[in-house]
Amino acid sequence: MTRVLLADDHPMIAAALDVLLRGTDYELIGRARSGSETLAEVARLKPDLLLLDVNMPDGSGLEVLAELRKRTRAPAIVLLTAGMDDSQLLTADRLGPEGMVLKTSDPALLLECMDQVRKGERWADPEMAERTRHAKERAASAPSLTPRERELVELVRQGLRNRDIAAQLGVTEGTVKVYLHAIFDKLGVDNRTELAMRGPQLLG
Amino acid sequence: MKFSGAQSLFKYQRGRVIALGRAMLALLFILSIWLDSSQAALKPSYGLLLFYVAYALALAALTWRNWWFDARLAVPMHFLDMVAFTAIVFSTNPDTSPFFLFFILPLLSAAIRWGWRETALTAAVLILLYLAGALLVSHSGGFEMQRFVIRSGHLVILSAVLIWFGIHQQFTRLFFGVDELEHRFGRDEDPLAYVLGVAMRASRSRSGAIMFGSPEVPRFTGVRIVDGAVSQLATDRPLLREALPSLLFDVQRNRALTTRTQGWYRFDTVETLIDSDVLAELGAIEGLVTEVRTGTRQGWLVLWDMSELSVDFLDLGTELGRAAGAMLDHDALVSAIGESAAAGMRLSLARDVHDSIVQFLAGAAFRVEAVMRVSRGGGEVESDLKELKRLLIEEQSEIRAFVSALRRDRELDLAEAVDELKTLARRLEQQWSVDCHVDGHEDRASVPIRLQLDLQQLLREAVANAVRHGGASRIDVDVGVVDDSLRLAVKDNGTGFAPRNGRSPAEPWSLKERVDRAHGSLFLQSEPGCTNVVITLPLTNGAPA
Repeated sequence: MTRVLLADDHPMIAAALDVLLRGTDYELIGRARSGSETLAEVARLKPDLLLLDVNMPDGSGLEVLAELRKRTRAPAIVLLTAGMDDSQLLTADRLGPEGMVLKTSDPALLLECMDQVRKGERWADPEMAERTRHAKERAASAPSLTPRERELVELVRQGLRNRDIAAQLGVTEGTVKVYLHAIFDKLGVDNRTELAMRGPQLLG
Repeated sequence: MKFSGAQSLFKYQRGRVIALGRAMLALLFILSIWLDSSQAALKPSYGLLLFYVAYALALAALTWRNWWFDARLAVPMHFLDMVAFTAIVFSTNPDTSPFFLFFILPLLSAAIRWGWRETALTAAVLILLYLAGALLVSHSGGFEMQRFVIRSGHLVILSAVLIWFGIHQQFTRLFFGVDELEHRFGRDEDPLAYVLGVAMRASRSRSGAIMFGSPEVPRFTGVRIVDGAVSQLATDRPLLREALPSLLFDVQRNRALTTRTQGWYRFDTVETLIDSDVLAELGAIEGLVTEVRTGTRQGWLVLWDMSELSVDFLDLGTELGRAAGAMLDHDALVSAIGESAAAGMRLSLARDVHDSIVQFLAGAAFRVEAVMRVSRGGGEVESDLKELKRLLIEEQSEIRAFVSALRRDRELDLAEAVDELKTLARRLEQQWSVDCHVDGHEDRASVPIRLQLDLQQLLREAVANAVRHGGASRIDVDVGVVDDSLRLAVKDNGTGFAPRNGRSPAEPWSLKERVDRAHGSLFLQSEPGCTNVVITLPLTNGAPA
């Protein structure tokens, strides 16, 4: 029997997994509903496998994953999620969970994933693998700004005017305008307001 | 903003007031010394006085509708008025002379036209001239020291009052444009056209334009109103060649008038200060340009086709520019708040749909998979299918209630909100096999849709927590209004959130998260046999500033 801990704050998922794992080689030994509770329950129950939801209160699944990666004795981890954005996908990819499954995929895939992970292999939902690949491509093709340009974007985001930015960077106001034009072109924005609002998203 | 005839004639026309005052004083002066027998000695100088009257009338006629001459001749006319005062002091009988009239005129002119410095300087010069005149006639037999001292005192006191007037006149706003802000709420029209309309009414202009650019992009866009028709405008060139608060222009005579830092007039040509091609595109011949700055943009307000244009419009223009910037900033702020609230509502709804419907469907799919596996192994599946059917019907009810709340186009009374919670409680009783009773106070309050959705979700989660973690069999819910907040108290008879069997204590995270998002507060008191959760949610948007 493989001892499984479920970390998910949604009752319907918990009840459904309880039914799904019935009669299998997996034993659901406990459930946690928040990030901090998950870490405590992992330490207390020492499960073989952790089914970990990404969006949970008091410490997300990715924060739990990062924390468990620092520990020498930690269970195999399967991320079970209803969806992740690019940033979360890239973080998950970097932390390298043993398995990743979408809640909205065919439920049979979850059991397939758990079987593979139990054998010591890594397994990712085909749709998540595809999304991760796209997220990596988008990150690679993100515009590369120089450190100086990034500094300028940050000052624009703080609401500083060109004159103040020039004073802060020790350049002329004209130089600031030239920098801004280059940044506008690179990021495809029309004005400083759009730059201030979309800066973090565009810079990745 | 409507004006009566006389108000219309003299509003924003300080030059006209001064010129008319000068002419009337000159006429009154002649009349008073003609009627006064003690001034008989002056009668041979009537020719000179008549010349001054003619000069005053000619000036009034010349500057009546000409802001350029009014500004150009302001300083020379001022000196001439002082010279006239000196001549009158010397040429009239000092005891009975009505020269006070001519003392007041230059002082008031300086106070109205310029400021306290010029008023003080004028007062000093006039008093010195009066003293010099008095000294010159002091050797004559008619000099009376007592009368001289009293009159000198009058001059000093009057000067002090007018200097004070000159100081405070600077802080008097010609136009309180920000008052218009209150009427802006709820309007759907273009804010630029609205602001331009306010400026046009304040300046009585038949045509106007307002345009903005950003420092980085050399393109200026805005709106123009001519004969009541609003049209869009765009140009690649800045209108003004240098930063100026406001200026008057006359393209046909190539005249531009603005003010220097100290308030003195600066006379220039249109070509030097303005891109006349842009003015030509607008169709403006004579009028006013003023700078407008908002938090993110800068541009110009152009007003032309005025019935009465005067130098006062330089100050009026500056005020209009400030008011226009303030109105646009305010409008942007109101729009941003509205958009932010709409975005917040969208995110919140998306989260609700994700947390409830998407998760439910995922769970249902897992259960179907489980049933299929049991079925393949020849096991009994009917009970699982019944359970799944029950869950689907419950979820259907939840979704229907959710959609119904979204469709509602008004806020609920508290009583209606409580009724909906009672209906939900009956469903939860069946779902969790628990007694759930909702009680509402007879408070009067309007409950926004977002808050009602939060209330329903909080009740679902509170009941689920009480049964699942505490094994509660009875739950009492109390809803009321305290101050400006909605208070939801949930009391159950379960074992509560205390640690059990060495496990870490459960916490109402889902409740906390939702309460935090609604900017409310949560109080939890838990002991075996009795758990109280008291939630307070602001009835209005309680987002921290």
